[in-house]
Amino acid sequence: MAASRLRQALPLLLGGVILAGAVAWSRGAVAQQQEPALNIQFHGFTDSRGVTVLSPTVDLDRDFTDRTGLRFRFGVDAISAASDSCIRCHAEGAHNQRVYTSASFVRKYGDTAVTVGGEISKEQFYLANTAMTSISRTFNDANTTVAGGYSFSWNRPTLHPAEFAENQFAQNAYVSLTQTLTRSTIAQFGYEISTVNGYQSNPFLRALLNGVRTVGEAPDHRLRHTLTARLRQALPKDTYLEGDYRYYTDDWDLTAHSFSVGLSHYFTPHLSVTGTYRQHSQTGTYFYAPAYTGSPEFFTADFRLFPFDSKLYTGRVVYTPEGRLFSGMFPEGSGVTFQYEYYNADNGFEALTVSTGLRIPLKRR
Amino acid sequence: MRAVASLLFLLGLSTQAFAQDAITPAPAIELPAEAGAPIALASLKGKVVLIDVWASWCVPCKAAFPAYDEMYRKYKDRGFEVLAVNVDEKRADAERFLRDRRHVLKVVFDPKGEAPLKFKVRGMPTSYLVDKRGNIRFAHEGFTAKDVALYERRIEALLAEAP
Amino acid sequence: MRHLLLVVALAAVAASSTACATVKPWQRGQLANRCMQFDPDGGFAAFRGHWQESREGASGGSGLQGGGCGCK
Repeated sequence: MAASRLRQALPLLLGGVILAGAVAWSRGAVAQQQEPALNIQFHGFTDSRGVTVLSPTVDLDRDFTDRTGLRFRFGVDAISAASDSCIRCHAEGAHNQRVYTSASFVRKYGDTAVTVGGEISKEQFYLANTAMTSISRTFNDANTTVAGGYSFSWNRPTLHPAEFAENQFAQNAYVSLTQTLTRSTIAQFGYEISTVNGYQSNPFLRALLNGVRTVGEAPDHRLRHTLTARLRQALPKDTYLEGDYRYYTDDWDLTAHSFSVGLSHYFTPHLSVTGTYRQHSQTGTYFYAPAYTGSPEFFTADFRLFPFDSKLYTGRVVYTPEGRLFSGMFPEGSGVTFQYEYYNADNGFEALTVSTGLRIPLKRR
Repeated sequence: MRAVASLLFLLGLSTQAFAQDAITPAPAIELPAEAGAPIALASLKGKVVLIDVWASWCVPCKAAFPAYDEMYRKYKDRGFEVLAVNVDEKRADAERFLRDRRHVLKVVFDPKGEAPLKFKVRGMPTSYLVDKRGNIRFAHEGFTAKDVALYERRIEALLAEAP
Repeated sequence: MRHLLLVVALAAVAASSTACATVKPWQRGQLANRCMQFDPDGGFAAFRGHWQESREGASGGSGLQGGGCGCK
């Protein structure tokens, strides 16, 4: 069953990327450029499960020539978990640290940009290695952009408290189309397919099986599809509207709809305020149940696989002063961002995030 | 099968020829300057003119502006002119940019985009070097610091030509 | 089969959109604003995507994914 699904998925994966690649290589117009910059950010997350994460990140986007560029990212997640899954054995809570780094190299050939990169993420009980490549091409006086990409991940979850690690392999491919519709409207459509093979149960959460708390058992194979549609619209009086919709479905029968809408306004040419509302609703997987009896093939206590609806409220302020930031310390065009988010699910789960970032543009070469 | 068909269809898309550097007469333009009075390109015949199509929202344009102003100061006594054609739809955006930047080059305003249409601009910024007879000799898209030496070589070559 | 049709539909939209009325390069002032970009603060979107993936069942839609994490 799983093997035939995989055989069905592979030509689609390859087909999608080849199609995007072919479209990208046919002749077109002017290329767009990513602005070189240094981004230093600090994110904080806390939720009602007792998990708190503090996450500083550094993002460097730099160009070497007008045709080549390098993107480098480094971050640390300092995690303290006093969640039900940890408290069982660690009464004082548990601390973990995830370190991740990624690098990607961009090369432009006329109006086509090719990116090759990788990411490594390491923490106690989990190691993830990813290699990725993508290609994009603009057409039509840069009004249309077609892009496609593929990534391969080799992940190693450790079955804590046991010492041995399982293997998990994930493949991911996407195609996207970005189209300027008017001088003030731009839309993007995307399709993504992903397969995950290997261990996908959650070693930290125990389901109630015949009254006994047992580590869950999830299928070894998962095929996921995602469709996205996004819109950005400039409105009168320095106001902007954004709308995003994502449809998700997989072969575990989990289907989700995520819709978000936001409004930004410039109170001065240097200060913008944005408010966003996101609604998410998902079904459970076919093997989801609050408790299990008998000997089911699959059973889980992973709350991510349960049905629920949630709302997310985001507020963001971006300040980009003219002249220099902090009296000459940073170059012109630098900006600071502050963001606050509140998340609320109808199963009682709540989360809060606070983020801040500093953006420093770099000279173009 | 359908994937193959759409693949062939896409490969057959008509291509757009890229603007070539060719010796063609520069289109006639006459646009209002900062002081208010209009400047016509025809009135600058006999001089080497750098026409820069720029906007306040274009990041490389912001780096190009002071560089072109420097070039103007350097060569203006030898018969060189710079015409910075601003295409901001809102004049206030352009004026905010110009307010903090001392400049001697000539800025003209073209909110309707007549000049870039006539010059067939393909990307922002684009600059043109017009010789003493009024012909476009070089067109250049984008701007990086390395372009300055290239421009100066071309300007010197055009200045050396007979009118 | 259904999914293959979706990919072809996207490609067809791509092909037909090249015939749309185009916005000229010098008319892109509003489109250049950071509020018109899809992910102006990449790191912020990445962090949000990360914690959402560790608390929700759906994922993806933002381009390529990393390898995930052992999130509790």
